[in-house]
Amino acid sequence: MATFSRVHQQVRQYEVFARKARDEPLRQVGSVVAPDDDLAQAYARATYDEERWVELVIVPTAAVIRLWAPGEDGSGSG
Amino acid sequence: MSLATLVQSLADNKQLLGLRYAEWCTAAPTLEADIAGAAMGLDDLGHSRVLHGSLRELGEAEAERDPTSPEQYLNVAYLDHPWTDWSQFVAANAVLDTAFTLMIEALANGNVEVLRSRLRKMLQEEHYHYLHGRSWLRQGGSNPEAGRAFADAVEWFGPEGGEVDQFHQAGQLAAGVAGLRSTLGERVACAPPPVPTDWARWNPLRRRTRPGSIDSRTFEMLRGLEEKRYMPVGERKDG
Repeated sequence: MATFSRVHQQVRQYEVFARKARDEPLRQVGSVVAPDDDLAQAYARATYDEERWVELVIVPTAAVIRLWAPGEDGSGSG
Repeated sequence: MSLATLVQSLADNKQLLGLRYAEWCTAAPTLEADIAGAAMGLDDLGHSRVLHGSLRELGEAEAERDPTSPEQYLNVAYLDHPWTDWSQFVAANAVLDTAFTLMIEALANGNVEVLRSRLRKMLQEEHYHYLHGRSWLRQGGSNPEAGRAFADAVEWFGPEGGEVDQFHQAGQLAAGVAGLRSTLGERVACAPPPVPTDWARWNPLRRRTRPGSIDSRTFEMLRGLEEKRYMPVGERKDG
């Protein structure tokens, strides 16, 4: 038998973004955890397709470059 | 055998595949896979409904089934019994589901108008089944169940020069047996090559060599008898 672990050995987190109309901005609706892009797409679709999105995208969380976080002053104005 | 019988076999297999997926929707290795299993099960039961509903337009009302014979279900042997190991789910998801999708593609790109128009949405949904199966198959390493699923898929496509190739020549199917086999091999690159099939024992209606049929519990569920056990006594009807 092939072996599968209950929790994947190496997983990545992906942020899920969606919108319902073309004139709306994408907004974050949640996240999924998966070992690769294939499974992340399958999981995002299975988990978040209950609503009628016109667009659904996933982004590896590691690809997000944060300029500043809540509580940090990154505006440059002092 | 008519094209409608092939579509009926596709519909029966989709119904059972959906049911088998559903049996695992609280038992997969991760919660995400539970949810994906439930979603894929719903998809395949819906596909089965649409395919069964297409039979009338294909000029053939769905044949009356003998309500006492599970052999009336035109399913591959792989779906006869519930799966006892996740590797069986993975192999079915990666190999068998993809084999059925290839036939849907061949029908949707063929010259039968009712199938061209109705089967498109299935292909969009099946893309995610493919991604799910492919990823899990890659993660598990060698999976002997994939070989069994591949062998059943080869049997289900049928022999070269058989009616599937005739439907292909007539334009009803956009692919023939050789094309279906080779594309399946390409899509599920992890699967071993198909075993030779003893076509002398092949049943052209059930599209399989092995005798046997779905287990009695599954059969009773399909007939609605399992559910009747939970009905209030006064509402039960015989049959």
